[in-house]
Amino acid sequence: MESIKGNEMNAIYGLYPDPDSAQRALNVLERAQGELGFQDRDIAVLSGEPYEEYGFGHRDHKTRMPWIAALGGVVGGLSGWWFVSFTQKSYPLISGGMHLVTKWSDGIITYELTMLGAILTTLFTLLILARIPDWSGRKLYDPAISNGKILIGVTNPPEKARGELGKRLLAAGAETVKEYAR
Amino acid sequence: MEHRWGMVIDEDRCTGCEACVAACHAENNIATVGDDQAARGRAMHWIRVERYYEGNFPDIKVKFRPVPCQECSDAPCEPVCPTYASYHNPEGLNAQIYNRCIGTRYCANACPYLVRFFNFLNPVWDKPLNLQFNPDVSVRSVGIMEKCTFCIQRIKTAEIKAQAEKRPLKEGEFNPACVQSCPAEAMVFGDLNDPKSKVSRLSRSSRATKLLPELGTHPKVTYLKRDTWDNGQNA
Amino acid sequence: MDKTPEQINQDLLRPLYHASWRFYVALVILGSLVAAAFFAWGYQIYNGIGVSGLDRPVFWAFYITNFVFWIGISHAGTLISAILRVSNATWRRPVTRCAEAITVFALSISAMFPLIHLGRPWLFFWLIPYPSERGIWPQFRSPLLWDFFAINTYLIGSVTFLLLPSFPDFALIRDRASGWRKKVYGIASLGWRGTPKQWHRLEMAMRIMAVAIIPVAVSVHTIVSWDFAMAPVPGWHSTIFGPYFVAGAIFSGIAALIIAMAMLRKLLHLEEYLKPIHFDYLGKLLLVMSLLWFYFVFAERLTTWYGNFPSEMAVFWVTQSGRFSKLFWTMIFCNFIIPVPILAIKNLRTKIGWTVVASIPVIVGMWLERFLIIVPSLSHKYLPYNFGTYRPSWVEITITIGTFAGMALLYLLFSRVFPIISIWELKLGLQKKVEAAPALASQEPATEQP
Repeated sequence: MESIKGNEMNAIYGLYPDPDSAQRALNVLERAQGELGFQDRDIAVLSGEPYEEYGFGHRDHKTRMPWIAALGGVVGGLSGWWFVSFTQKSYPLISGGMHLVTKWSDGIITYELTMLGAILTTLFTLLILARIPDWSGRKLYDPAISNGKILIGVTNPPEKARGELGKRLLAAGAETVKEYAR
Repeated sequence: MEHRWGMVIDEDRCTGCEACVAACHAENNIATVGDDQAARGRAMHWIRVERYYEGNFPDIKVKFRPVPCQECSDAPCEPVCPTYASYHNPEGLNAQIYNRCIGTRYCANACPYLVRFFNFLNPVWDKPLNLQFNPDVSVRSVGIMEKCTFCIQRIKTAEIKAQAEKRPLKEGEFNPACVQSCPAEAMVFGDLNDPKSKVSRLSRSSRATKLLPELGTHPKVTYLKRDTWDNGQNA
Repeated sequence: MDKTPEQINQDLLRPLYHASWRFYVALVILGSLVAAAFFAWGYQIYNGIGVSGLDRPVFWAFYITNFVFWIGISHAGTLISAILRVSNATWRRPVTRCAEAITVFALSISAMFPLIHLGRPWLFFWLIPYPSERGIWPQFRSPLLWDFFAINTYLIGSVTFLLLPSFPDFALIRDRASGWRKKVYGIASLGWRGTPKQWHRLEMAMRIMAVAIIPVAVSVHTIVSWDFAMAPVPGWHSTIFGPYFVAGAIFSGIAALIIAMAMLRKLLHLEEYLKPIHFDYLGKLLLVMSLLWFYFVFAERLTTWYGNFPSEMAVFWVTQSGRFSKLFWTMIFCNFIIPVPILAIKNLRTKIGWTVVASIPVIVGMWLERFLIIVPSLSHKYLPYNFGTYRPSWVEITITIGTFAGMALLYLLFSRVFPIISIWELKLGLQKKVEAAPALASQEPATEQP
């Protein structure tokens, strides 16, 4: 078990070479929650690719993002329509024998602003929900993830449970078990 | 009642002398572009006299047609301008606001009569023409579209004078430069909203036609010509 | 492909670390061409549009041709990334980032042309709807304003679409790098960690973007085509322009993508990632688009010819057999006669060299198509007294060549900063292949033998 001292984070985790062993480790941790005194939200899972076929890849997957994006689109569209109507009436200049506020051409602008609203809303929703940008480095991370390893561990574990957690993570098939300690 | 300025041009009277072209250049501070540029098709004649030959020698007929801006009621050049440099003013003219123009040249493409001109280069006046500017008309720089305005500066001057003197405008009180200078009196200018004006009466004559009427532009320039075998549909 | 994640990382990140002398030579050549183009543009701003070949009546020519052409090319990324994502075509994985990069750069280049062609370009910002001191807003009835909104929406959407899947790859580079690279990519990755929540949100965002960007792309090229269709010019005022241009755009986009991919494969040694099967599938799409393009052209010309309107027939004959006929028949040759036989024969289409041979004429042909839509119509409007001609000047030619060089240059620089194949998506594809049923696995290009 490696021990990295002097870091703000407090965690113990194992690096698993394949998704099956990672799933086993997660099962172990979920069963050991009450016994060893940590909660579900302290369980950390990190990977270099999404693993949708596995349970550990399915944590926190409920989201309302499509609805938020649609709402952003509607807001964009309405503000677009208001904008072209208001501005064309505020300085009325006739051209080409057309009406001042034309449904056809204003419809096009409204459509584009609807799509822009949906796109920007999606982007900002992602940034907020994924909690990025976050350059603080205070959250748990291990560069081994980029080489295909999967990190399963517990943040802020109770001190007395550390040893037991380490044993169980190793038993589930970890290549290494590391911990950050204060 | 608002004025609605219109023009009638009698093709049967036009001699092709092009005095109107010269007068327009002088009145509106239009530069000559020089041989090279003119050969490249960049001459700026706000009113031009088109010349058509009909028939074969020795029975050739030459027809002349002066074409100013047609000041269309449903002008295709107006809605395409992104900056409102080309718009319809309350007196029915298609106004060109030089300061707003950023030179996209879309209006020139949309105009079916090709009466719009672009300053491809900075206009230059050879001496002594540089002493001849009309102070009522702004000088346009490179990158700006321009076109015939029915001498709006003369319209405005007359309207302001009439307003100051608290009287309505009289017919024939002023004319655009081209109308004023035509020796054959082939051009008539006036208020189409006044049913008694000469221009209104002539535009209802049996010889009246418009250019490209099928396009739905509703131009305010009416051409008078004797009925020909094709009813004046072709030049 | 039996590569470990570490091997994949090494292969695909190598171009970020090593550059051969060929890269620097290309950089110098392309950079000079781009610099020449900027010089020509500066010369034009100083002296006026008169230094170009434009005249009355041909007020639009090379610059608008280039504008429409490059927007057309930009439809490559959208089609491949978005439509193939939405239809779950797994073979797209190695191809998506190349395609998205083409879109962003082609769009950026084309967005410069409205500036280049303006008579007073220093006032371009009047197109932006802001509360100005003049109390006036732009005219929303003008197709140029529709262009402004559409292109900006598409640009923002495409950049988002390119950047979203890049964060995990930047995180990958950050983890393996040291020194300035670690810092720069650390910032660029936005602190990406890879929790299931982050992955899920990212994939959801990409799914939403893919669905959103397809209608945007269709609308962009339709609106660009309406710059022409809204004007009463013979040959322009046709209802077919919207779909015609979109089909043409996708057509030229796929051809550009094939060429870009073939070059990347050669220069960056990506033979095991960009396989003949990819070119086979893209070649099939190119074949379909060529046939579709021909259908639109035929439908338009037949309708024009049969209708026999004098003003439209003047334009028709000048392209068919008059002054522009050489260019016209070259275009038909390049867009239809060369690509269709090559792409229809499976033996040829499965060889990468032949799909490239089919794609290069398409690029030439589509550029000519834009030119032939604009210039013959403007030269022959309604009043024959005003018919005109056009000949490009050195300014327009330099700028045109400069944009091609600029595209290549941007792409070259891109391949040294971004991994040109989306690494995590590729790994995801392999992962799914390993776990999935044999039927799904057979779609994966990695299993097919070249």
